[in-house]
Amino acid sequence: MTMMKSVPVKVEHDGRWVSTTMGIGKDRIRIGAPLDREILYKSMVDLEERKNQVTITTGSDEAVETFRIASVEKVLSVLKKFIITQCSAYRLNAFFMSPAIRGGVLVKDARWEKGAIAVMKTGIWFVSQENQVCISLGDVAGIEFTRREIQGKDLDVVKIDHLIENEVVTSFVLCPKTTLQVLYNFLKEATQNSAYEGELDPLTGQVAMLVYSGMDSSNIENMLQLSHKDLDAIYEYLINAGFAEVLYVRREIQLTAKGVRYISDSMKSPTSE
Amino acid sequence: MGRILIVDDTMFMRTLLKNILFSGGHDIVGEAADGAEALAKYQVLKPDLVTMDIVMPKVNGIEALKAIKAADPAAKVIMCTAVGQEQMVKLAIKSGAKGYIVKPFQAPKVLEEVKNVLSA
Repeated sequence: MTMMKSVPVKVEHDGRWVSTTMGIGKDRIRIGAPLDREILYKSMVDLEERKNQVTITTGSDEAVETFRIASVEKVLSVLKKFIITQCSAYRLNAFFMSPAIRGGVLVKDARWEKGAIAVMKTGIWFVSQENQVCISLGDVAGIEFTRREIQGKDLDVVKIDHLIENEVVTSFVLCPKTTLQVLYNFLKEATQNSAYEGELDPLTGQVAMLVYSGMDSSNIENMLQLSHKDLDAIYEYLINAGFAEVLYVRREIQLTAKGVRYISDSMKSPTSE
Repeated sequence: MGRILIVDDTMFMRTLLKNILFSGGHDIVGEAADGAEALAKYQVLKPDLVTMDIVMPKVNGIEALKAIKAADPAAKVIMCTAVGQEQMVKLAIKSGAKGYIVKPFQAPKVLEEVKNVLSA
């Protein structure tokens, strides 16, 4: 039996969250009652993160099990580090810079961090001494094999564009070229569903660009001199093509006679009656 | 809030930036479609900040940046370029650019960068 540091956590059990303890060991975690389970890091195949909660997946096919654990950031950070460095995943040592660009603006204090990358079922994890970054495969918006000048040398890197809470972020990965090619190929294949082979017509492309930049419908109508109906048709196309999703439906209204009367009356000065 | 000169050879990008910056409370004092026009307008309008596209006809953004900095060493210029031209960053920074935006961009981040450069 290995010595484990025990910490309070909440785990999902039978559809509800229950308080328990979790021991974090060198090669496994032990979750207390009512789960009473020991889980080896090497049996873990996926790790997902959402706020103060992680979802761990073990096994494959019919033997898949998931464990949801909630705790404070410090505990989860230690747990994630053990999982990322020991789980069953394609793992490589690399340098990464994340984020390098946020929303199109270069991050001034961005720097290369030395660490490990673990490629899991639903995402890629970067882990360094100070940082843990997860890029969910569903949030990858672009992958490019490119070159970047690093310490005076022109080196191959993989550039990943991804979404973090609707913000477009660019990250870079640097490692030996052969490993980089493997990573690039994996990402390309894992995200091929989000690629679009065709080309949007210029107007639809401009609308998409404006949405990307954060413009709302009335701004777009004004900028491109489009009617509400025309813009709606373009939105429909973008939604059907999987480029966009409905955020909310806003109504445009006009006043009835009752509304007009109220506004007119409210504008009358008290002395005019 | 600042008085801003927008320099880009495409009207679409100028209009987009104008909308973004206007929504952030800035005044757009002028627009230019190439580097030569940018320099001429800079000297007349004396804006607080310039957003400068790099790839433009006649005089490109880097040359225009150098000319503006020669005329006014305190000029604040944010360079703006397309994805894949990030190698221009060093050249632009060396030439005196205070910030760098890569197209496509998102409004909140652009406004944040403009605010940072204006307050620096």
